[in-house]
Amino acid sequence: MTSEQDKKLEALDLKIAKALQIDVPELRMPELPNIDETNVRSFPARKRFKKPVWFAVAATVVLATSISLRNSSLFQSYDSLAEEVLAHLDHEPGSLRITDVAVSDRQFARAVPASLVTFERGTSLITYAQSCVINGNDVPHLVIQGQYGPVTILLMPEERVSESTPLDGVSVKGVILPVGKGSIAIIGDREELLEPIQKNVVNSVAWTT
Amino acid sequence: MNSSSAEGKRRQRFDSLVTVFHQDMYRFAAWLSRDKAIAEDVVQEALLRAWKSLDSLRDDAAAKHWLLTIVRRENARYFERRRLETVDIDNLTASQAALLAETPNEEIDDLREAIFELDDDYREPLVLQVLMGYSTSEIAEMMGLKQGAVLTRLHRARHKLMDSVAEE
Repeated sequence: MTSEQDKKLEALDLKIAKALQIDVPELRMPELPNIDETNVRSFPARKRFKKPVWFAVAATVVLATSISLRNSSLFQSYDSLAEEVLAHLDHEPGSLRITDVAVSDRQFARAVPASLVTFERGTSLITYAQSCVINGNDVPHLVIQGQYGPVTILLMPEERVSESTPLDGVSVKGVILPVGKGSIAIIGDREELLEPIQKNVVNSVAWTT
Repeated sequence: MNSSSAEGKRRQRFDSLVTVFHQDMYRFAAWLSRDKAIAEDVVQEALLRAWKSLDSLRDDAAAKHWLLTIVRRENARYFERRRLETVDIDNLTASQAALLAETPNEEIDDLREAIFELDDDYREPLVLQVLMGYSTSEIAEMMGLKQGAVLTRLHRARHKLMDSVAEE
């Protein structure tokens, strides 16, 4: 580009900048609601079938006598992985705190063992990290802070899915993504733009099992 | 720290950020929507969203980017909800025409009209670069585009403006 063209463009940009500087009305602050700092977002309760009393007693006896049956699908009450993922979040509402305190490296390492998966923490603020059990397998459960609140990530090296499965709730949305031989569930507020998070997470994960 | 003083500090932080960036938020919303009344609505919604999720903003140095991203999403949401018709430059509503209010400088008026008539795809990166001072890589990240696509759009936007102004 010649310097004459440069000058022309610079002059044009100055004029564009002036043209864009429209008058701004006085700031009108909307009514701001009180924010409860201990606010915990909870996911919508899932409908479960009612079990008769005899079922509960029998289940307790079976559980007490044979923990090894834990991995059996005999007592599986979830129709799908998606259902179990959402149910798991119902069980850990404390993970969904809005906070700017990151989990320690030690806690993170405990929840995300290198023998299972490596996960690059990158610049995301990880505010929760626990090792959980989904379908009888250990699953790192992480929460990062998104634009509209906490975003849950479940790294499931043993759960193979053939295609992306959308997760939909009253106040949440998400997806289970097939990643290599496993899958990753990502769930956030309905307003959250999950695509960039999905991309980052998928690029940060490598299964090691 | 008790909850009322925490709330007070939160409000103080919010007010100081909004005071600094309100003008940018409004101008960005106005040039995205091409309508001053819509821009006011979008900014109101964006301020509410920002207030509710203020705790997710860890570094106030990133506040401008954060607030403009919220404005961008609120603007998209506004048009998703209303599905407004394409703007006809010869048949503007009062609040659309208000964006083109005349200045003492005829050349600037012509240019403002030419910017108004640019496609959204061209106008937005131009506003982000010239008015907001973002680099092409930052614009690419905000708009979910490759940097090359941003450069192309900016190049075309400037040439369209040059052509429009030359025709006047």
